[in-house]
Amino acid sequence: MNSEKAKTPSPANERDEGCQGIHAGPGSEKDAIERLSRENDELRRKYSTATQYIRDKVNQLLTVMGTSTLKPEELDDKTLIETDPVGIISNSFVQILKHLHKTNAKLKITNQEIKAIFDSAGAGILVIDREMRTLAYNAKLREQFFPDKSDVTGQPCYKVICNLSDPFSSCPFKRVFDSGENINLMGWVLDKRFYDIFCAPIKDEKGEVTRAVLVYMDITDRMQTEQALRQSEEKYRDLFENANDLIQSIGPDGTFQYVNRAWRETLGYAEDEVSGLTVFDILHPDCSECGPDFKSVVFGETAGRIETVFITKGGRRLNVEGNVSTAFSGGKLLGTRGIFRDITERKEAEEILSSERERLAVTLRCIGDGVITTDIAGKVVLMNKVAEALTGWPQEDAKGSPIAEVLHLIDETSRVVRDNPVETLLKSGKAVDILDHTLLVARGGKERLISDSVSPIVDRKSNIIGTVLVFRDVTEKRSLEEKLLKTEKIESLGVLAGGIAHDFNNLLNAIMGNIDLAVMDLDPGDRACESLSRAEKAVLRAKDLTQQLLTFSKGGAPIKKAASISELIRDSADFATRGSNVKCSFDLPEELWKVEIDLGQMSQVINNIVLNGVHAMPEGGQIYISAENLVIGYDGPELKRGKYVRVTVKDTGSGIPKEHLPRIFEPYFTTKHAGSGLGLATTYSIIKKHDGHIEVASDFGKGTTFSILLPAFSGNAAQNPIPVEKPSSKNKGRGRVLLLDDDDMVRTTTCEMLKRLGYEVVGSAEGNETLEKYQTARNLGKPFDAVILDLTIPGGMGGKETILKLREFDPGVKAVVSSGYSSDSIMANYLQYGFSGVLTKPYQTKDLSSVLQRVIFDI
Amino acid sequence: MTIIKYDICGQICPSTLLTALQVINEYSEQLAEGEVKIAFKTDNRDAISTIPESAANMGYPVTVTKGDGYYLIEIRGGEE
Repeated sequence: MNSEKAKTPSPANERDEGCQGIHAGPGSEKDAIERLSRENDELRRKYSTATQYIRDKVNQLLTVMGTSTLKPEELDDKTLIETDPVGIISNSFVQILKHLHKTNAKLKITNQEIKAIFDSAGAGILVIDREMRTLAYNAKLREQFFPDKSDVTGQPCYKVICNLSDPFSSCPFKRVFDSGENINLMGWVLDKRFYDIFCAPIKDEKGEVTRAVLVYMDITDRMQTEQALRQSEEKYRDLFENANDLIQSIGPDGTFQYVNRAWRETLGYAEDEVSGLTVFDILHPDCSECGPDFKSVVFGETAGRIETVFITKGGRRLNVEGNVSTAFSGGKLLGTRGIFRDITERKEAEEILSSERERLAVTLRCIGDGVITTDIAGKVVLMNKVAEALTGWPQEDAKGSPIAEVLHLIDETSRVVRDNPVETLLKSGKAVDILDHTLLVARGGKERLISDSVSPIVDRKSNIIGTVLVFRDVTEKRSLEEKLLKTEKIESLGVLAGGIAHDFNNLLNAIMGNIDLAVMDLDPGDRACESLSRAEKAVLRAKDLTQQLLTFSKGGAPIKKAASISELIRDSADFATRGSNVKCSFDLPEELWKVEIDLGQMSQVINNIVLNGVHAMPEGGQIYISAENLVIGYDGPELKRGKYVRVTVKDTGSGIPKEHLPRIFEPYFTTKHAGSGLGLATTYSIIKKHDGHIEVASDFGKGTTFSILLPAFSGNAAQNPIPVEKPSSKNKGRGRVLLLDDDDMVRTTTCEMLKRLGYEVVGSAEGNETLEKYQTARNLGKPFDAVILDLTIPGGMGGKETILKLREFDPGVKAVVSSGYSSDSIMANYLQYGFSGVLTKPYQTKDLSSVLQRVIFDI
Repeated sequence: MTIIKYDICGQICPSTLLTALQVINEYSEQLAEGEVKIAFKTDNRDAISTIPESAANMGYPVTVTKGDGYYLIEIRGGEE
């Protein structure tokens, strides 16, 4: 035997069992030898027997060990003894026995474990032999199949389990004994209950199946649960499939696990197409936020309400909203489930509504009226900027407040709180107009006159769901209306004044002429001459008055004349302060340049300014009027360079507030209760028409100073020659004069005056009559030397048309125009209209004389 | 683990088994503790059933692999 460790079995200890002590004696040596020989034989025999015994036992043991027996030729007795195979095998047996003890102990434990499992198993366990007899069963099997029976060991299983009296020829478990393989039967029905049965063979050491173990799993409850689940699934599937909403279930990778019929029909996919889709295939590419949103949902980050945009297979945009829930199991995302509703139409409607709202908001912002809407309870819902401004309530403050609080209305006159129109409407259900003379009191206390109406807002069923109040500030409108009324009154007054002045002039003309005639008839020392002279002065003043009336009524271009303004200032100022406790003081230098002015209009200017001062000093005071020459050496915005006369009127009155100064020349601006608001406006207008300028300076509480600048007379005053009054009225005239005047008194008086002057005179009352008489006289060889034509003939041909006809007939006709309207453009520019002279009513005899002498004789 | 190797080629039964048993007995304690592994190289075909069976009855795991002209029977210590 070779060994890497060069180990060899140790030889057995040598034993010398047969050698005992031998005692040889001399007498019995032979006997002793014989006895020893016998004893040797005996010992050999015993040794041989013992050796054989050992060999036999060794062989027996070797056979038990499964190996071949000893062969004498291979192992002699001595070597057998030395090798000690018995010792070797017995030592091995010791180890085998130890192992068996351990194995037995383990088996015992295992048996106990198996028994415990057997008894406590939730499934019935049955052990049968080839004859299908019951060898063992557990408590669960008893409970399942024979709870009321006693021990069934030894009884056939077809009786105990299947309740059959005879063996079941085609029992599937019989095959187990033949095939030696497991058999499983699922859903086997026994006594109205469902079982899954697992059958396993038990084989003996020869591999033959001697027994079989059957395990009965009662699946009745599970079957019922599964059936209920299936029914439930069918029910829900039915609900899902018939739902109009889009229902989908998505796996963690975004693929669709389930979609319902409405989903497929709406998105246009066939059932077999859905499996190849992911949720990202149906998200509209234009919806940039949909992808990330949905991705987070798909990956379980968020869940809940979602609004997104799908795209159908055909490319149609689909706005949807819905709810998405995520399903987890053990912390792992199983997928998401979503229910969506097509809100495309609603979305479009919302967009239209949003546009409408924006349009309405813009309209409301742009509208000039205040607009407030309220709810059915009369609480403010919305108001535009104008309404905010008029009420003084910002919308955020007013929202939800009662309308009566925001729109505080009172009667203009009585100042009693007015019923709020919104509340009235809500009670009556009808549109309400705000009563006239209603004042809106703003939050800050400012009051405005308002007008307009409240209308109900109704729904489709005509139910009132709120009100809309539209109102506007009519304070300014009312003011303008009042001013317009005043203007119309003034215009009417102007027309009336014009008519009166015309008639009044004729009357004055008759009075003046008759006074002249009366004076002519008296001796110069007659006492009546003085009275007539005073009457003449009164008529001249009345003439000025009519001129003012005419200026006021007709306006028009000034009839400018070069004149000294000093006398006009004194007369006008005295006239204006007459009857008041205001005194005027004058500083009017003699070297004052002449100015080119319309005497009547400029008189009105001085009158207005002085009157303004008088009104500013109700307690009396002093007005200082001065004038001075002034040269402006540069062209300014108001005046060109040149020579001017500056007239300054200064009072010591209450003054004009600073904020009123810019407006005092505006028409109708007045702070006086009785003022027309036209005085200073007319003044301004007249000065401008004279190419002049007017300024005002005022120190409130101390007085006001008006400065007027008028261009100085440059030497070429008027286009028309200024009639130069002849100092004597006794100049005798000669020749024939034709007089046209519709007023009998004027015609009679003037005819008499002309006769006194030495003229032969013929009167006519109308233009055609004048023309006829002029033509007749000329044809008869007794032509008229001059014609005096009244400009205005009510209802007939006046001076303007008559001169045209006369000139057609006789281009050399000498005609004088006569009118009370001294500011009429024909009177101002009579040469252009074909006249040779002008005569302003009322005129005196000397006026007649001088104009006729100049016209006829060119004197 | 110590591997103790024996070449018992040329021996036939029952010598091979007795030799193997004697070695296993000698190292029984070390085998039980798992300290040694005994490997027998034999060319006796009977030995590949008798030795493993005896060792297995003693509770030792045994593996037999065939080499070129011999068999290697390895007996590990510890419980089977």
